[in-house]
Amino acid sequence: MESASIAAHGHVDDHHHGPPEAHQSARIDRTILGILLFILSEVMLFGAFFAAYFFLRVVADPASWPPEGVELPVLIAGINTCILVSSSFTIHYALEAIKHNNHRGLKLGLTTTWLLGATFLFIQINEYIHIGFTPRDGAFGSIFFSLTGLHGAHVFVGLLLLTFANIRAYRGHFGPEQKDHLGVEVPGIYWHFVDIMWIIVFLAVYII
Amino acid sequence: MAVAIRQPGWYRGAIGLVLGAAFGFCLVVGLRLLSGLDAFQTEQTGYPQVVVPLITAPFGFLFGFGAFDYWFRWAAGKPTIPEDHSGHGATKWQDYFKFNTDHKVIGTQYVVTTLFFFLVGGLLALLMRAELAQPGTQIVAANTFNGLFSTHAVVMIFLFIIPVFAGLANYVLPLMIGAPDMAFPRLNALSFWLLPIAGLIFLGSFLAPGGSFDAGWTGYAPLSTGAPLGQSFFNIGVQFAGASSIATALNFLVTIITMRAPGMNLWRMPLLVWANLSTSLLVVGATPFVAGAQFMVFFDRILGMNFFNFLEGGDVISYQHIFWFYSHPAVYIMMLPGFGIISEIISTHARKPVFGYRLMALALIGIVVLSYSVWAHHMFVAGMFSWLRVPIMITTMLIAVPTGIKVFSWLGTLFYGKIHTYSTAMLFALAFIITFTVGGISGVMLGMIPIDIHVSDTYFVVAHIHFVLFGGSVFTIFAGIYHWFPKMTGRMYDERLGRIHFWGTLVGTWMTFIPMHWIGMDGMPRRVADYASQYGDWNLLISVSAFVLGAVQLIFLYNMIVSWRFGPKAGPNPWRANSIEWQVSSPPPVFNFDEIPRVVGGPYEYGTPGARHAIMGGEGEGAEVPETKPSTVTVPS
Repeated sequence: MESASIAAHGHVDDHHHGPPEAHQSARIDRTILGILLFILSEVMLFGAFFAAYFFLRVVADPASWPPEGVELPVLIAGINTCILVSSSFTIHYALEAIKHNNHRGLKLGLTTTWLLGATFLFIQINEYIHIGFTPRDGAFGSIFFSLTGLHGAHVFVGLLLLTFANIRAYRGHFGPEQKDHLGVEVPGIYWHFVDIMWIIVFLAVYII
Repeated sequence: MAVAIRQPGWYRGAIGLVLGAAFGFCLVVGLRLLSGLDAFQTEQTGYPQVVVPLITAPFGFLFGFGAFDYWFRWAAGKPTIPEDHSGHGATKWQDYFKFNTDHKVIGTQYVVTTLFFFLVGGLLALLMRAELAQPGTQIVAANTFNGLFSTHAVVMIFLFIIPVFAGLANYVLPLMIGAPDMAFPRLNALSFWLLPIAGLIFLGSFLAPGGSFDAGWTGYAPLSTGAPLGQSFFNIGVQFAGASSIATALNFLVTIITMRAPGMNLWRMPLLVWANLSTSLLVVGATPFVAGAQFMVFFDRILGMNFFNFLEGGDVISYQHIFWFYSHPAVYIMMLPGFGIISEIISTHARKPVFGYRLMALALIGIVVLSYSVWAHHMFVAGMFSWLRVPIMITTMLIAVPTGIKVFSWLGTLFYGKIHTYSTAMLFALAFIITFTVGGISGVMLGMIPIDIHVSDTYFVVAHIHFVLFGGSVFTIFAGIYHWFPKMTGRMYDERLGRIHFWGTLVGTWMTFIPMHWIGMDGMPRRVADYASQYGDWNLLISVSAFVLGAVQLIFLYNMIVSWRFGPKAGPNPWRANSIEWQVSSPPPVFNFDEIPRVVGGPYEYGTPGARHAIMGGEGEGAEVPETKPSTVTVPS
């Protein structure tokens, strides 16, 4: 990411000198703090759906959960979990690579992460098609598709962010200084969140 | 013309709006035809061909308007200038109708837009009062009445009280902490432009077949899951308004944490900054819950899901739990910034440091923590878990403690102060303390389970909410607008008209909302267009008072508009206040400061000779300025 300031653009007239540099009153970078707070609100959005899950499963006390005749593909979802979890390591590798100015490693890590994420999403959609029930089939169908679908939407957004990072990585825009690779670090933090959230969704919906 | 279309702005915005709507419409109709369904679906909870364009059209408008241009350039890997200030400042009125990234312009945009919606919400209220002036139905049918009180509440909450505070803070908060702008100026502008969109969606629901949403602002399921199309407008509008306030809150938090001037540690932040810090924590943490609740209702309505359908294993009460888990913190979102405003005004006009400054700040944090644990007191009669009632009653009582700390600290600040009442802002602040305390006490009453069961869904609840929201929040909003009007416009408002507005509002508020307590205790139900004739006299008095209250607000509008244009020049610091925003010119320079100020003491060191809060840039160059020690409160005997 080019960090060009107004001064570097040569506007030195008195009428448009740009604002003074803000004083940095905390050690954390603004963008990083921003994405962390955004993730906090995302966690609460998932919290709302987990609350609904709790009500439908525990408070409403259905005769059986999941309903009779519904078999969740735990094995496929488990493999899918492994795919997504490994993508967290590859994006971490990409970030470490660019910190050491290793552009090849950055590109390798980002591309692999993107492919792993896309595979996860592909398998997830495939699972939806073959799962044998729909969002309209009882409260179970509603909350199953809502929770996994909400997560799938987050994977999609994460993939978009990774796409942008990939474009810039292949153009050689990132550098070892923190301000020069925020474009990798911030999507990375988001990606880790998507990953951890999947583990929770997977445990709640498929395992327990 | 061709250039105008390619430039971000209203032309491109209008094209984006049409294309967005067309995209949503074609998507729905195309997918339906592909799946072998009819092109249109007109069951009352359906209408996907209307609902989906309602979501896509605003995005089309925002794309066209230029909200995402920078981000698109970044996403496509094109060179970007992070510190691009071409969208800064306003020199003519047209600049206020642009995608402007200047926090001061955005602040003004917020305040003016929300005052417009205040007017709309007020007119809806007056329509209701006209209907309620006499028993029987005269003006509106019962169904329309339901729509009126629902839209009144939604417009007032989501488009006036919550965002007007964001607007005032947008203007003064970066100045107060010595920051050149907010942390994310483009996000800030986007947050503002989401608001009028939400407002138009809410009001647009009046045009929907079946009328506007009429399940109350709470939109309880299953009433809302089976309601006509208007309810979907509510579901969608709340998402836009909620996204706007989450983004603003995130922006405030990052600004406050990372952009304070050197020397401004936590205990030197003005209380308005503290108040917005705590409000933003509430918004970021709680608002996603209302988004979640409305998503679920929306899914039930549009996709045929069964979150709240008992027959299919859904759970009806879960809606109320999830909704109130946001909406109780929301009442503090609507109150805490007002607390901050009042602290600023009282200290400035009593010429005394805020009494118990640290405890004031900690009380705000205490309210934030406690407010997450009281949501179920809205549900005492809803058939929720019976074991949850008493714990919730106790936490509800507890929250009166930090609130009481604040009230007593304001009184302590006033005690032996040199109280100046020449400013309308101070009058509203003083009246706020009394009116809000009355509303707070009826809140404690409502927190007690036996009383709550007795007065549930009566006018007592209406009286309580209007004492805390009108006598509380709206008074602080008026106080804040009067207080910062000279800063924002550079001109002085007319104090005589301000006084007339103040006394009219104060008397109008009490005359309108006090009798509601009595008829509520007597059992008059709320949210009903008709009532037993025994309540006729009181209701006539309430309606007349409400119209007086409404008429008085026209004086306020006249005062603001005329003074903005023709008022006498105000000068940088008409109230002789200490905080940083008063040390710059009125209105402030386009980039706030030439040099970031240096903070050397607390913000409220009034009455301490030589005490300074901040040293402005260029002042005392090179000289060693002594740090100001915090003063202890001295009471002259």
